[in-house]
Amino acid sequence: MSRRLIAGTAGLILMAVAAHAQGPRLDSPGAQLPGPSLGGQTDPGTPPSVPADSSTPELIVDLSRARVSITSAFQGESILMFGMFDPPGEIVVVVAGPAARETVMRKERFLGLWLNTGRQSFDDVPAYYAIAASQPLQRLLARGAGGEILSLEDRLSTIKAIGPRAPAELAKFRSGLVDVKRQEGLYPAAIGQVTVQAGRLFRVDLPFPSRLPEGVYDVKAYLLRDGKIVAAVSRPLPVGKVGFSAQLAGWASNEGALYGLGAILMALVAGWLGGAVMRRL
Amino acid sequence: MEIYLPIAEQSMNVFVLLGLGAAAGLLAGMFGVGGGFLATPLLIFVGIPPAVAVASQVNQVVANSVSSLQVQWRRGNVDLRMGLVLLLGGMAGSSAGVWLFTWLKRIGQIDFVIALLYVIMLSAIGLLMLAESVRTYLKRRRNPESPRGKLHTHYLVHRLPLKLRFYKSKLYISALLPVGLGFVIGILSAILGVGGGFVMVPAMIYLLGMPTAVVIGTSNFQILFVAANVTFLQAATNGTVDVVLALLLILGGVVGAPIGARLAARLPGVVLRGLMAVLILAVAAELLTELLRTPTSRFSLGSREVLP
Repeated sequence: MSRRLIAGTAGLILMAVAAHAQGPRLDSPGAQLPGPSLGGQTDPGTPPSVPADSSTPELIVDLSRARVSITSAFQGESILMFGMFDPPGEIVVVVAGPAARETVMRKERFLGLWLNTGRQSFDDVPAYYAIAASQPLQRLLARGAGGEILSLEDRLSTIKAIGPRAPAELAKFRSGLVDVKRQEGLYPAAIGQVTVQAGRLFRVDLPFPSRLPEGVYDVKAYLLRDGKIVAAVSRPLPVGKVGFSAQLAGWASNEGALYGLGAILMALVAGWLGGAVMRRL
Repeated sequence: MEIYLPIAEQSMNVFVLLGLGAAAGLLAGMFGVGGGFLATPLLIFVGIPPAVAVASQVNQVVANSVSSLQVQWRRGNVDLRMGLVLLLGGMAGSSAGVWLFTWLKRIGQIDFVIALLYVIMLSAIGLLMLAESVRTYLKRRRNPESPRGKLHTHYLVHRLPLKLRFYKSKLYISALLPVGLGFVIGILSAILGVGGGFVMVPAMIYLLGMPTAVVIGTSNFQILFVAANVTFLQAATNGTVDVVLALLLILGGVVGAPIGARLAARLPGVVLRGLMAVLILAVAAELLTELLRTPTSRFSLGSREVLP
């Protein structure tokens, strides 16, 4: 009885120690990295409600993490963008992944079997594209904000098709591209909601799926007033593999032959040892 | 528990992958085939890009065959001479196969070719094996003490030139036959991500007329080197070998193989072959349905090209 009690207490202490050790580590990666300070200086001592002087910007933003790290446990990640603005106004956040050439393939039935018969390449296709707004986007843009803020449809209307094809056909391929990207979670269909608190604080969750192309993403926040952009702050968000996965992917693409030999060696050793061990059991 | 696969560039459940490896290992142990013909389509079904599935599965085949070869070699079940002649064709075939794979991938037809080849191969072999084992089973039931016939039937192919004597296999056949067989298996290995045992074993028994005892060991010997060659070439030219994925499949296979071997020891050969035929046909049917069914999305994306 008493022994059990002691074991229980020891367990509790261990758990407490572990929790303590973990606590700061959990939320530090974003904070520890030198967060690019954008939108000027923020003095934590100044009450946010009173803009101290004219040099205080109208829009201040930050991200909960300075980068998206694709580790071996990566399952997608949600990044929080938060900030403060001078009321009145509405906030729109646009996240765009790096642009690249994408090739869309279309299947058709041939002798009863479905196979790729058509292909169309597009240049300048963003790897990822999401918009979040504090009010329905249509209403905000209808008031004439237009210009720089592009809905996904507007953004994709500018991608350049490679080679000649009838406009109607191109439109089909373009919508096919959106469908595939949407399924992969790279063009989130639902426009995210920017939550505004106390009339001047805002926050928005930016969801990134597990299958995320690498590169430097651009997260841009706009402050709109009467349908016009009065302030915009852009934050680069690097997305990349780190640690073991980065190492492996790097070897695979740069040292293909060596990587292949390593893979063979790994398989030989694992197969040999595995076979020997399992036969003993 | 999810794990990120660095080359497939997505996360996957660890246990799904271990289970797939174990299923492949079970088959390997039971039938002496790599199990790749089952694991590769399943990897594609769970969403691994076909190019990565094929290249990583072939890496698993290396482990699988070295592990089986350990036993077969000790038992003296490897016809080294036959193995080397097969390998001659196998190396050439697998190198050609990787080149073909790269070309098909570039023109965007690799997924279709993989599926179609699987359907053709699996249904042909499955039907042949099923018919054979049913026939044998019925014959034995009708006449349990049937007299032993010739060692093997003589076909036209036995009249080809360049005859070689294979003592262990008790064969005197043209070397062109095993070289050609090795070449075809090599191509299959590269494109389908399999060792090719499921084609090789029946071909050795029915086409070459090798005694069943040395078939598995000898095919394992050739598969080991062909799979290593494909792994190397895929990694060097396409960069599609995912070692994390391969390692998980290997770990699963290590557990599955001895269980399969023990099961095989308890079941008579005819039943075993019949079971395998049914399994092969089931995979073929599933793949054919995939090809025939109207896809949910008619569009798909090729690889992204980041322009400088």
